[in-house]
Amino acid sequence: MAEQPIKVVVGKPGLDGHDRGAKVVARALVEAGMEVVYLGLQQTPEAIVAAALEEDADVIGLSILSGAHMPHFRRVKELMDQQGLGDRLLTGGGIIPTKDQETLSGMGVGKLFGPGDDPQMIVAYIREWVKEHPRA
Amino acid sequence: MATAHEKTQNDLRSTPVRDAEYTTVSGRPVEPVYTKADVPHLDSTLPGEYPYTRGVHPTMYRGKLWTMRMFAGMGTAAQTNERFKFLLQKGQTGLSTAFDNPTLYGWDSDHPLSMGEVGKTGVAVDTLADMERLFDGIPLDQVSTSMTINAPAAWVFTMFLANAEKRGIDFAKLRGTLQNDILKEYIAQKEWIFPPEPHIKLITDLMAFCSENVPQWNTISISGYHIREAGATAAQELAFTLADGFCYVDHALAAGQDIDDFAPRLSFFFNSHLDFFEEIAKLRAARRIWARHLRERYKAKNPRSWLCRFHVQTAGCSLTAQQPEINIVRTALEALAGVLGGCQSLHTNSMDEALALPSDKAAEIALRTQQIIAFESGAANVADPLGGSYFIEKLTDELEADAEKYFEQIDVLGGMVKAIERGFPQQEITRSAYEYQKAVSEQRKIIVGVNDFANEGEELVIPILEIDESVEREQVVSLRKVKEGRDNLAVKDRLEKLERAARDNRNLIPYLLDSCRVYTTLGEIRQALVKVYGEYKEQAFY
Amino acid sequence: MKKSIPEDLWKAFFQGDRLACARLITIAENRKERVPELRDALANRLGRAVRIGITGPPGVGKSTLTSLLALGMADAGHKVGIVAVDPSSPFSGGAFMGDRVRMEGLVGDQRIYMRSLASREGHGGLSPSTPDVADVLEGFGMDRILIETVGVGQAELDVLECTDLVVLVLQPSTGDAIQTMKAGIIEAADLIVVNKADLPGKDVVLNSLRFLFGMGLTKKIRPVPPVMTTSAMQNEGLPELVAELEKLASVLLDSGRHADLRRARMEKEIREAISQCLWTAYDGLTGATKCIQEKARELVEKAESPYPFIRESCSRVRVQALDKEASNGHGA
Repeated sequence: MAEQPIKVVVGKPGLDGHDRGAKVVARALVEAGMEVVYLGLQQTPEAIVAAALEEDADVIGLSILSGAHMPHFRRVKELMDQQGLGDRLLTGGGIIPTKDQETLSGMGVGKLFGPGDDPQMIVAYIREWVKEHPRA
Repeated sequence: MATAHEKTQNDLRSTPVRDAEYTTVSGRPVEPVYTKADVPHLDSTLPGEYPYTRGVHPTMYRGKLWTMRMFAGMGTAAQTNERFKFLLQKGQTGLSTAFDNPTLYGWDSDHPLSMGEVGKTGVAVDTLADMERLFDGIPLDQVSTSMTINAPAAWVFTMFLANAEKRGIDFAKLRGTLQNDILKEYIAQKEWIFPPEPHIKLITDLMAFCSENVPQWNTISISGYHIREAGATAAQELAFTLADGFCYVDHALAAGQDIDDFAPRLSFFFNSHLDFFEEIAKLRAARRIWARHLRERYKAKNPRSWLCRFHVQTAGCSLTAQQPEINIVRTALEALAGVLGGCQSLHTNSMDEALALPSDKAAEIALRTQQIIAFESGAANVADPLGGSYFIEKLTDELEADAEKYFEQIDVLGGMVKAIERGFPQQEITRSAYEYQKAVSEQRKIIVGVNDFANEGEELVIPILEIDESVEREQVVSLRKVKEGRDNLAVKDRLEKLERAARDNRNLIPYLLDSCRVYTTLGEIRQALVKVYGEYKEQAFY
Repeated sequence: MKKSIPEDLWKAFFQGDRLACARLITIAENRKERVPELRDALANRLGRAVRIGITGPPGVGKSTLTSLLALGMADAGHKVGIVAVDPSSPFSGGAFMGDRVRMEGLVGDQRIYMRSLASREGHGGLSPSTPDVADVLEGFGMDRILIETVGVGQAELDVLECTDLVVLVLQPSTGDAIQTMKAGIIEAADLIVVNKADLPGKDVVLNSLRFLFGMGLTKKIRPVPPVMTTSAMQNEGLPELVAELEKLASVLLDSGRHADLRRARMEKEIREAISQCLWTAYDGLTGATKCIQEKARELVEKAESPYPFIRESCSRVRVQALDKEASNGHGA
């Protein structure tokens, strides 16, 4: 049987309206054969995790350019763990200083991407991660 | 029979050249060389002469240099006030205020959606008290002030007016610009509150109020900047921005205003990206198109109504997080294009903006870049120095033609509001953004330090500005104190009057001013108006 | 038989665990061979839910309307499942599913369960797994299931196949679209909604509809469907729409038509499963696929009819052998 598509929930938490990156990445994921549930702007962490749960997503991708990445990633990860989604990948992108990336990585957040990173890197990373973390 | 010109071009096309994609950053193909034959109808007008292709003043920067206006804002009002004073002391000639995300959406700092956002990408303003701190000690009748705010622009502006009034400054002496361009929010930046029609009503209210009371104020800065940042090409930026401009003109006319009362106060805001010549041509084309439409289509009589005056900001999206120091060079080239394109004011981005808000040092270098262009390069000595260049003139014509094509498409869709509701500009931009990203991925477009000439294992060596997480707590406490100290009955009364005025479809500016005077919060005003106008919901155009 | 669905997953599902529901939907979507297992376990919980298709041209506001309908029905005491189907790219196999952007007020509402579904091999129509996903939702306790389609082409017809009621959504500017709509969808609609009624041109659509039904151009046995107007933007017409749909639902249930539809679908399912099963067995025994390939080439070359070969093949079928094979194969 054909390999089943990877399902990714993409959302922008918080208040910044810069959705160019989220849309370009979403499109690259679709062209790489993934099924992307796009949530749009101004999503609360609660809404993002609730959607990922109903969609049984393999991956949650957040895009944040407002500088509010720390509280949002922290909260989303917390909710994922509480709701049984601890085995899914939380990744994302934005203007996120290396120091913050390291802190988030320590909390179990996956690799984060920044300006200039090629969307194909994200595609490759997600594919690799899903391959290495097969779900029951 | 091929003309001599065509022969030259054909010869050149068949001459072996480097393997590269010869297109602009917007994907526009360019010829190896341009000749007289490319511009048979050379625009031979002078700067300061209709249609102003070559500039809005006859002597351009000999008369007055562009305003060096650096966008600044972070943390609390007091912190931003300090940055303002720092920049003025370094020789900046105008202020430009960046507000934080909650303020841009009209939310108070204590709203749940504001979590983590307060003071992050701009200054947090909740009430008149913040406005007082923000401009404390700054002579508002002498320094021109720009405020980058859109959805709640009307009541942030009345907060600014209330502050001036308290300090005894005559409204007639206030100079500056309110961005106040909601259409590009739906198209690109996505920071809205109401559906388009009520927002546009507030804009025309403000135009009418300012014509009478704040005559030196630019009531709107019709912005292509964000459209470009969202991924548009130069032609799309030009076309959608000017189409937005026409849309505001149409609405003000429909509201019964006289074109020559409000058109002279309309100003524009363009991006300056890395494709040097195309950017200059875009700015020249913008002036020509606007002048022609205002004079010929809208029959404006006052020559000031025909002028497309604009602010330019270098392209944030061209900055890289990799090797951030080289962003100084990118910004310098973009800034020079802005100056050669004849801008009235200019913001130069700081090298660290792909990483964080600018540090003092980075902001200073960015400002110094403008000063070098103004005082060392000689670029300010001659008006439109590239006018008459075959290439520049040809590009100017091409961009104008591209824009006119878009205007036709927008007309077919029933105007800009309808086009936006159908997602037309949004889809065009999303497509361009993706095409560009693909060109970068496939290395058809080279970005130094990113997809070529990258440094292995690069370590970040520039200082990064960090916004203390305590800003949010401080701001929330300060907001609570304001709410405790004000006359809450007066607030309630003003909000009721405001709501009634909105239902009666009156000019809301006086009511907003009244509300701001008694320290009503941004969010309280938002709530009162949402009751009448409803909230706009995102349409995911893809 | 391959590894079955874990016992504790079923247990969690029956206790109302939403993540378990999510995972079973994924199984229904991805693992066709597990469908019989799903059907077995869910059988005694199915049969009471009303499945409502929501279709119409793109851009008429189906997603927003679907979410508001779901909220209205939840307020009327129902548990509501939503299945929103988006097209898969025929090139990459990926799909962009943006319905949630336009759905309002569903977050954290335990009375509603929303799932996006890519059409996958349903080429331009519904995902073939749509009925199975709806079964899981019904088994989870949802008694109203809204199936929102991309309202173009094949999807319009697919939705008729797997729902009990169909709502056709139009908007003022879609007057012309009515003419070009897939034949059958207008007659098949149980309810027509003109959404975004705040926009100009509402009367044009209403008039075209009246004209269409008035001229007797539709060959429907059932009465002319009610036409309602709504404006999600101005919050108008929604309670009336919910009430009308509920009325249709109770007529459907009380008249026995609901049971008829279920029975018809069940018959079709059985027929299709048996043909599939028989074919698999036949192919396995006779190597028919390869044989047909060769035969077809030969027949085309010689310009001959395929029927002698078909008749000959059928006469050679040994029913006993197939019986034996079938009991070991599919559906155990």
